Amino acid sequence: MAKREIPEINAGSMADIAFLLLIFFLVTTTMEKDTAYVRKIPKKLELPQTDPIEKRNICDIAANNENQLLFRGIPMEDPDLISDKVLEFYQMNENLTKAQTIAALKNPGYKGSNFPFYSFTSKEEIEENVLTSETQLAEVENTPGVEEDVIEFKLKQLDEWLAKQKAAESYGKNILPEIHFQAHIRVEVMAETEYELFTKIQSEVEEAIYELRDFAAKDIFGESYGIIKKREAMDKTDKAGDKRKLKLLEVLYPARIIEVKPN
Amino acid sequence: MSKFRKGGGREVPGVNTSSLPDIVFMLLFFFMVATTTKESDPTVKVERPVGLKATDMTPYKQRSEIDFLYLGEPRNPARAAEFKLGYALFLDNVLQPAAGELYNTNAISRWKKDKFESKPPRMKEKIENVITCVKADKSAPTILIFDIRDQLEKIDALTVAYAVEDNGVF
Repeated sequence: MAKREIPEINAGSMADIAFLLLIFFLVTTTMEKDTAYVRKIPKKLELPQTDPIEKRNICDIAANNENQLLFRGIPMEDPDLISDKVLEFYQMNENLTKAQTIAALKNPGYKGSNFPFYSFTSKEEIEENVLTSETQLAEVENTPGVEEDVIEFKLKQLDEWLAKQKAAESYGKNILPEIHFQAHIRVEVMAETEYELFTKIQSEVEEAIYELRDFAAKDIFGESYGIIKKREAMDKTDKAGDKRKLKLLEVLYPARIIEVKPN
Repeated sequence: MSKFRKGGGREVPGVNTSSLPDIVFMLLFFFMVATTTKESDPTVKVERPVGLKATDMTPYKQRSEIDFLYLGEPRNPARAAEFKLGYALFLDNVLQPAAGELYNTNAISRWKKDKFESKPPRMKEKIENVITCVKADKSAPTILIFDIRDQLEKIDALTVAYAVEDNGVF
C-alpha cells in the first residue's frame, strides 16, 4: 500500500476560540476583592444573675441620626481619632505593675481610673480556674432541671480558661497580663445613622486592635501581625505554629465588640 | 550595470500567526487565575464604604462558605416605592423588601436556612460559623443592618460580616 499522507490540521481558528474564551472570562469575573469586618452576634443567654459592669470598662462609641459622634460621652468631630482613643483605652493602665494597679485602684484621683485595669494571672491560677470551672460545669450538668443556658455559660467559661491556659503556654512567661474581663467596646448607633459611619467606627476599632496585636507580635515573635495572619491563611499545614500565635494575641488583646440595636 | 533588479514585484511575506493562540491562551489563563467569578449581578445600587484592615473574604476560603446579601436602592426607580425606606435586599437574584414590618419579614432567615440545608453534609460547618456577608450601600440606615442581624440571630447564624472596600495592602 502506498503511504497516505496525513493532512495537517488547520489551526487558524484556534486563536478565535481562545479569544472567545478570554472574552467570556473577562466579562464574568471581577478583580475587586471582597473585604469585610467579621463580627459575632452574641448568643442570648438567660442567666440568673451577672455582675454589673463598671463604667471604666466600657468604651462607648455612639452615633446619632445626624451622623455625629460621641466617644465615651464626649462629642467627637473627626472619626479618624477613634482608633487613637481606643488605643488609649487599652493602653492607659497596661504598663502598671501589680502593686501599682492595686494602689491605683485605691486612689480615686489617679488619671487612669476611668480606664480598665489589667489583671495578672499566673499559670497556677489559670490551672486552678480550669479545674474549678470543670467541676462547676459537672455540677451544673448533674443538677436536674437546670436551664440549658446556664450549662452553656459554664461551658463558655471553661473554654475561655482553656484558651488562656494555651495562651500562657505559648507566652512563655509565668504571668499572663490581661485586660479586665469586662472591658469591651460598645458601638451604639441610631436608626438612621448611615452605614458608612457605622463601618467607619468598625474600621477604626479594627485598626486599633490590629495595632495592639502588631506591637505584641513584634515584641513576642519578632514578626508583624499581618505576616503571621497571612501565612496562617495560606499554609494549611500550619508549619510555623501560626494558629497558636494568633490565639495568644487574641487572648492578650481581645476584640470584644458589642453592637447595640437602635430602638 | 544591472546588479539591482528594478521593479520585479518582490512579495512581502505573510506574518506568521501560528503563535497567536499561545499568546491568547496565556492571557486567558492569567485572567482565569487572577480573578474570581461574580456570584451575581445585583439589581440594587451598592456603593461600598471604605475601611482599613478588613478581613479578606475571597481567596483562601471557598466562596461557598460565605453567603452574600446586598442592601441598596433598587436600580429600577419604579420599584423603590415598594420598599420600606426605599431600600431593598437582594438575595439569590430576587429583590426582597429590606427587613421590617412591611411584609416578608422572614425572607432572610428562610434564605439562609435553605442555603445551609442545601449544602452537602461534608461541607457543612456549624451554622454559627457560616459567614453572612452584608454588602450595604454607604447611605443605608443602620437600622436595616440590625434588622438583618435579628433575623440571623433567630436561626443561630451568628457570624456576620460588614463589607467595605479596603484598598490597603492586605
